[in-house]
Amino acid sequence: MKNNKTDKEISRHIAQSAEVCIAPDGKEVLVISLKTEASIANSLGMSAKEVEITALQQGIVPRRYLRNIGTIGLDGQIKLLQSTVAVVGAGGLGSAVIELLARHGTGHLIIIDDDRFAEQNLNRQIMSTEQNLGKYKVTIAARRVARINSAIKVTAFRQRLTRENARNLLSDADVVADGLDNLPSRLVVEQACRELGIPYVYASIAGFSGQLMTIFPQDVGLSSLYDSSSDTTPEQGIETTIGNPPATAAMIAALEVQEIIKIITGVGISVRNQILLVDAKEFVIDRIELSR
Amino acid sequence: MALILVRFYSLWRSYLGIDSATLQADNIDEALIQLDEKFGSQLREKLADAGIRLDGKIQDYSLILLNGIALRNLKSNALKEGDVLHVFPPAVGG
Repeated sequence: MKNNKTDKEISRHIAQSAEVCIAPDGKEVLVISLKTEASIANSLGMSAKEVEITALQQGIVPRRYLRNIGTIGLDGQIKLLQSTVAVVGAGGLGSAVIELLARHGTGHLIIIDDDRFAEQNLNRQIMSTEQNLGKYKVTIAARRVARINSAIKVTAFRQRLTRENARNLLSDADVVADGLDNLPSRLVVEQACRELGIPYVYASIAGFSGQLMTIFPQDVGLSSLYDSSSDTTPEQGIETTIGNPPATAAMIAALEVQEIIKIITGVGISVRNQILLVDAKEFVIDRIELSR
Repeated sequence: MALILVRFYSLWRSYLGIDSATLQADNIDEALIQLDEKFGSQLREKLADAGIRLDGKIQDYSLILLNGIALRNLKSNALKEGDVLHVFPPAVGG
């Protein structure tokens, strides 16, 4: 109960505030605008996210999600708003993942990064600008999310994920997204996710190409490809020479988000027990089945 | 002697100009020797042209799977007819 209103009264209030909108396919849809959402949230003492979820439960679509519903459905959007995704690293991959998840309406984003924006980030890290160089990436990312979608809760950890803190930082997540730039940290994330029972969407890039793999706790994963001993695991690869161009980061981050959305909403099939190899130079996409 | 298929992916396919090849070998060690003899120098040259200097043999700077299993996880070194060796570069950036 909010402001002494029952759920029924809240639902009625939202229903009365809804307006009819004609969708692109010509069908009538009941929607609520951002302004209405804010007004309801304010008058009933609810968060914008609670208003959005309650509206969706009645088949009323927050206008901002109108173009999502045909793809993931009302239930999918509700699940997304109720979900928590941790993004480890807010650089090339991570910042694009954060941006897309915010626009999709992911209810809670945990963002973990200890780094500040530098000039060499400007080519691909979509939240970096000439004005925010030197600023902490998590701070900028949290502000950006608030501007894109104020219904979303952001928990920002301005620290480096380590073997010691990984479980603690990731324990509230339903899915963990890869925004990292080195292998040892990815292996730490994978191990923590296995222990916590959380799916981890791995992604990496080099030049025109990228890799992607969704790893559920019982799946074959990165540790099957790489020796988990940090002594024998290369910290970085050929990307140090062939680069991390912007379109590759955006392309692979977009695929990561597709995986995350599918995991949360239950729509589609994930890239599990496989590694997806995307080569944009010759435009070839391969999937290799992995075994133990 | 087993006839096995080698599949190259991503940048390695691009540098070698082929997506697959066949080898005849009894075991993984023999296959890796042939792999490096046939493709190692070409790959290293192309990588050097791109400014990447890598030492060692293909298996030292590639991810290699036999039928989807990383070589270090194989229970047996023996090859059988129709086995597939997947060879691709690690990509670690973000």
